[in-house]
Amino acid sequence: MDSSALPSDLPTIAIVGSGPSGCYTAQFLRKQWQGSEIVIFDRLDVPYGLVRYGVAPDHPGTKAVTKQFDRLFEQAGVRFAGRTLIGSAASRGDFTLDQLRAAFDIVVLATGLHADRSLSSPLAVVPGSDLPGVYGAGRLTRLINGHPDETVDGVRLGERVVIVGHGNVALDLLRLFLTAPEQLRELGIADDVVRAITAGPARQIDIVGRSQPETAKFDPAMLRELGKLAGIRFVSDAAPADLADITSSADSTSSADSTSSADSPNNAASPNNAASPNNAASPNNAASPNNAASANATRRDAVDALVAGSDPLATRTVRFRFGWVPDEITEHDQALHLTFRAAPATPDSDGSHGSDSTDSTDSTDGTDGTLSIAADAVCTAIGFTEHADAPLRRAHHESAEHLDLDRGVLGDGLYCVGWLRRGPRGTIPENRVDARMVANCIIADHTARLPHGTKPGYAVLARAADTTTLHHLIEELS
Amino acid sequence: MTRTIILFGTESGNAEMVAEDLASELGGDPIAVVADMTDFDIADFTPTDAYIVVCSTHGDGELPSGARPLFDALQEAQPSLAGIRYSIFGLGDRSYETYSHGSEIIDEQLRSLGAERVGVYGRHDASDGSLPNDDALEWMRAVFIPA
Ligand SMILES: Cc1cc2nc3c(=O)[nH]c(=O)nc-3n(C[C@H](O)[C@H](O)[C@H](O)COP(=O)(O)OP(=O)(O)OC[C@H]3O[C@@H](n4cnc5c(N)ncnc54)[C@H](O)[C@@H]3O)c2cc1C
Ligand SMILES: Cc1cc2nc3c(=O)[nH]c(=O)nc-3n(C[C@H](O)[C@H](O)[C@H](O)COP(=O)(O)O)c2cc1C
Repeated sequence: MDSSALPSDLPTIAIVGSGPSGCYTAQFLRKQWQGSEIVIFDRLDVPYGLVRYGVAPDHPGTKAVTKQFDRLFEQAGVRFAGRTLIGSAASRGDFTLDQLRAAFDIVVLATGLHADRSLSSPLAVVPGSDLPGVYGAGRLTRLINGHPDETVDGVRLGERVVIVGHGNVALDLLRLFLTAPEQLRELGIADDVVRAITAGPARQIDIVGRSQPETAKFDPAMLRELGKLAGIRFVSDAAPADLADITSSADSTSSADSTSSADSPNNAASPNNAASPNNAASPNNAASPNNAASANATRRDAVDALVAGSDPLATRTVRFRFGWVPDEITEHDQALHLTFRAAPATPDSDGSHGSDSTDSTDSTDGTDGTLSIAADAVCTAIGFTEHADAPLRRAHHESAEHLDLDRGVLGDGLYCVGWLRRGPRGTIPENRVDARMVANCIIADHTARLPHGTKPGYAVLARAADTTTLHHLIEELS
Repeated sequence: MTRTIILFGTESGNAEMVAEDLASELGGDPIAVVADMTDFDIADFTPTDAYIVVCSTHGDGELPSGARPLFDALQEAQPSLAGIRYSIFGLGDRSYETYSHGSEIIDEQLRSLGAERVGVYGRHDASDGSLPNDDALEWMRAVFIPA
């Protein structure tokens, strides 16, 4: 690494968005160009994006990464410019992207993707997905985390709740819905929000996804966490692991046993496990790609373990339903009615539904391949997308001449990183890997270009700003 | 010249930050050099250098992804690390039953290849939301004597 650059060679850098991808990018660029000016803009008063407004409040360890970023903002040359929207057009922002590009040598867009994807069947948006009582996970998680754009008006969960989606965000919502109001308040969730999400309280939650457990998106550790909740009966309509394995293994019982011993909660917890010679050879079993099969088996085992370990007599019930695609939502008799159809079988899922031979109450698991559930509220947690009216849309700033998304390049001196670059998938650390890659490209491009660092940076921008904006900036920076 | 190589293995960046703080406390480049386990060449292990290993834990007691390339390279090549001396500081969170296991995986591997661990095993517990840097500096001042 070349840290011998003279101060005048240092580029001025603007980063739009203070979520993890923007902050990690700033870290990597600062390492290369110590003392260069790096300004991180955000439209909100406070930094850190979805770490603050997405990550569940009962996961403080995950939120703790912000401590690292706090340190970043203490470094000389690095500043946070909050309450500053950057837009494509003059009317849509405190500064336009063009103004930023005129003032800074390097501009990086790290604005994320925040719109809830709407429910859709393979062909179209599911009818009824905009009915009152149907809430997107983005909206609910922002509300729970106190995001300034959200209000609790019109939000009220009832006794019967359906969550559509089997990703980690769906499981975050499920866990929070099952948490006692006092505990939610202790986590700092506002009183009116606690009342809205514990209104029923939910005593019957169906969590429905299109995949079988093997290919579902959740992490097994998230299910283990659910297992620690008391007073909940968990049910699943997926065939248990030993049945599902029959086709793929001559000796189904021992196969199921051996996969579970690799990563079952008890074994993972035993102190000598990771250090023992056998295990040390492949400590990352579940996570490494060539062990995808074992990760899949682990996921199914986690479902089985959750069901087996739960209290069969508990009065609150959570039903995991695998392999269902939403068809429509209707409203009558003061309830929402959801209809699903069986997802087409894939090579690794036989599409069969094991016997959920339960005393089913408000649902019918039809033998005709449809599932109907009546509910008081529906939460969709099926991913995120770009807002149609986002102030900065990536596609509007892609230059035909320079575009190279694999390196994060949008235009001359203009880059993108994080969810905006890769799509709405991946954890906080994945944005670190992404930021490192894009930062390296920025460094290579800038070093290859002469003359270095010519644009004046933040000072000129602040001078151009109207007095109100300037006032905000000074407030933020002082 | 005797150098101290501070090898870090990280998932979300804490271990790297710790490594940088330790290096500047020791006087920085070229006396103390920070190296990422992701791109450290195992042929560079040198008995005359002193090593500090800083490694976190992720998943369910697993190595952080940044430590995997070094772990895999050592596993594959099985070089002798006889004569290599290192101290280790593990990052973790006691609310996981697999507290600090990521660093233990690397520790076990280095020792099995003949390297010698010196000093007290340092650890930081993030369950109270604190950053590991101060604890790591304190640990280093108390136990680590540069070679
Ligand atoms: C509900 C939820 C829970 C999650 N939980 C976890 C978890 O437990 N663990 C984990 O590892 N990952 C989790 N993730 C994923 C993680 O949050 C993302 O990987 C990460 O936040 C993406 O980072 P980013 O920087 O690309 O975008 P973001 O974090 O969304 O940051 C974008 C920032 O840009 C700002 N911005 C947007 N437009 C403008 C504009 N025009 N002008 C100025 N500023 C603007 C926004 O205000 C925001 O601060 C979760 C995600 C969600 C949605
Ligand atoms: C998803 C996740 C899983 C974790 N798993 C463990 C674990 O199993 N054992 C442990 O001791 N710490 C665990 N931790 C805590 C981290 O090791 C700790 O936060 C550390 O400071 C992170 O350092 P890093 O940023 O260098 O990766 C986990 C943290 C996260 C976010």
